[in-house]
Order: sequence, then structure tokens, then C-alpha cells
Amino acid sequence: MTSLTSSDLIERIGNTPVIELKSFSTRNIKFYAKLEWYNPYGSVKDRAAYWMIKHAENDGILKKGKSIIIEPSSGNTGIALTGIASALGYKVEIVIPDKVSTETKDILRRLGATIHETSDDLCPRVGAGTDQSIALAKAISKPRPDVYYMPNQYDNEANFMAHYESTGPEIWKQMDGRLTHFFTGCGTGGTITGTATYLKEQNRNVKVIAVQAQKNHLLQGLRNFEESAMPDLFIRRQQVVDAWFTATNDESFHMVKELASRENLLVGPSSGAVMASMLNVADKFDSGIMIGIFADDGRKFKSLYAEHGVFNLTEYERLLRANTYLPETACPYSRN
Amino acid sequence: MNNASDDLTDKVIDVRGLFCPEPVFRTKMEMERLHIGDRIKIVADDPASEEDISRWVNRNGHELLSVRKADNDLEFIIKKAK
Repeated sequence: MTSLTSSDLIERIGNTPVIELKSFSTRNIKFYAKLEWYNPYGSVKDRAAYWMIKHAENDGILKKGKSIIIEPSSGNTGIALTGIASALGYKVEIVIPDKVSTETKDILRRLGATIHETSDDLCPRVGAGTDQSIALAKAISKPRPDVYYMPNQYDNEANFMAHYESTGPEIWKQMDGRLTHFFTGCGTGGTITGTATYLKEQNRNVKVIAVQAQKNHLLQGLRNFEESAMPDLFIRRQQVVDAWFTATNDESFHMVKELASRENLLVGPSSGAVMASMLNVADKFDSGIMIGIFADDGRKFKSLYAEHGVFNLTEYERLLRANTYLPETACPYSRN
Repeated sequence: MNNASDDLTDKVIDVRGLFCPEPVFRTKMEMERLHIGDRIKIVADDPASEEDISRWVNRNGHELLSVRKADNDLEFIIKKAK
């Protein structure tokens, strides 16, 4: 684990690599992935977390030594906010559904977050899962605005700006402006609206494909928009989406395995979903250059993958050792 | 606001001014710290708390010994049963 100073953080967020997925590319259709786990806390959410904190500081909302950042999260945003905010000198409280993986809770604790675990029976009329966490985070922060700041990634323009100002320009530059299709998974809508808005400003013919999860899914970071309401942040710019793809658990896990065996990539489930959508769309075209956001790697999903037969523990350990795309980050992954 | 039942409680928490789901969440946290058989008194003023706390207590197998209304306040006496 690498410890970061606040100035290191600014340098190391973003500028993640893009690689060609050569075993999937054909003569006329090329596939690329942007590996977002190269961010310091291991996922695409570092960008939104840093931008939300930076904007709150600039607006005078956050005060070092006094403010507590509280956010509902089922994973990567909580990790990113905790890591970055702690490095910048703020206390962090994360409200998290009790069903979230042990690996994720352990990472949050090691990074210094106070965790509030919610269960679906706390207040059933507000919904289930993350909806309980959102309700509790709002209930704690609203009456105490002098102490608590809730960034609320679902309705925070800084989440959009993070991707409009960083992810979009990076992709455009790394691809030399040569791409036909952009794919990303959807949760808050920040990644897709920010990146796609920038890319379409450069070339309005770039097609944008939004990837959502099936209902009752296991794909952390994605949402199903029949099951969960579309966040306000997404609704404001949903016109950037040209097409939707709904990924199933099975096809996403299958692509996690394919990416491991063919590309030596140990990815998280949402990256499997994005890969499945890229292949599905590519089938309809004779040529194209497809790029997808791979939001996080597989280091938080050992128990999930074992439970659902994606990798047994021996395979998983072998992949961890052999993988050429798992950089050391500031995210304290479990070694067990 | 004290009455005879206060003497029988091991802990009192005041969640007045807090709104759903925080009163239930605070109740849950305090219950986890108690021993089986201990009694806790919760004072709340969110009207939704009457339904929320009562339901949570019953669902989780504890005993709701009494709910008393005094002005705008609700006072729950709960016994930790497991």
C-alpha cells in the first residue's frame, strides 16, 4: 500500500491507460479499454470523489478540522471519498448497506472511514439497499449542515464535470480522435454524461452506449433503471445516450473469465458487462473502433467470484500473481 | 418527564429533532451495546417513529414494553430479548 500526500493525489488521479484488447479485435473492428483501476484508490470513482471535494472546498463548504464528509455508497465511491478526503485532512463517514461485501467494508475501515451499516428493515417506506443508506445519510447530514457535508454523487454537477474535464479529453487524446463507439456502465450517470458530452462536442458522430445491469443483479457499480430511479444527474443529460444495453449477470461473469484467459486482465463485474455490450454492438457493424470504461479490477471480488463459480480460489490466486495490469495503488486490498 | 419506568431502564437516548430513519438507526446501535434483559428508553418526536421503532423492535424479536405520548414526544421502553 502506498501512502499519498495531497499533492501526489492531484498528480495521480486520471491519466489512466488505454489498451487494445487484441484477442477480440478483428481486421475491421478494434476494441479498446480504459483501465480506471490505475487511479490511486482503484476505480473510476476517484475522479468524481476528488472533483466533488475540490468544488466543495472552492465553494467554502468544507472546513478542515471541522467538516465531516458523509456519503451513501455501496463500494467504489465510498473507498475513493475516504481515501482522498482522509489524505486531504477530512473525517469521513460512509453509510453502506449491510449486504455489501466484507472486502469492501474492510477496505473502508483500513482507510479510516466510520461505517454506518443500514438494513432493509430500518425504514421500509424509503426503499431497499442503497436507498436506505441514502435516506440515513440525508437524515444525519440535513439537520447538522455546520458539521456534515454530503456530496451526493447522484445530484452533484462536480461528478459530471470530473468526466467532462478529465475522462473525455483523455480518451479523445489517447485515441487520436479515432473512435466510433463509447461504452460505459451506468450508476449515477456521471461517467457517461460527462465523457460523452465531451466526446460528442469533438465529433457528434461518436455513438454512446449506456450499459445497465439486469434486474436483481450482482454487478456492483451498475444500476437497473426499472428497479431503481434514474438519478437527477443522469436525467439532465440523458440525451447523450444513443443506445442501451442490459447486461445479465451470466454474460458479464462469462466476459470476466474471457478477459482473464485471453487478455490476462482480472476485471470487476461491471467491466465484464461493458465487454459484453461492446461485442454485442460490434456484431451489428462491419467496421468500427470501440472503447469501453473498465471501472475497477477484480481485487474486491474474490468472494463474489468464488461464490458464483467465476474463478475458484486457486484460479483467482494464479490470476492475481500472473496479471500484468494490477498496479500497486493506495487502496488497501485484502491479502487473505 | 421522569416517571416510575425510568428507574427500570439501563439506558436513555434522546432522538428528538431527528427524522426517519435516524431514530431507528440510533435505537438499533444502542440495542447492540446492551445485554439481554436490559431495558432502554427512547425519546423521539418524529411522528413516523411510532410505527418505525415499533415495527423494528417486533421484527428483531425484542419486547416493546410501552409507548407513551407526552405532548409532542413519544417515549418507548424496550427490553432486549436476544
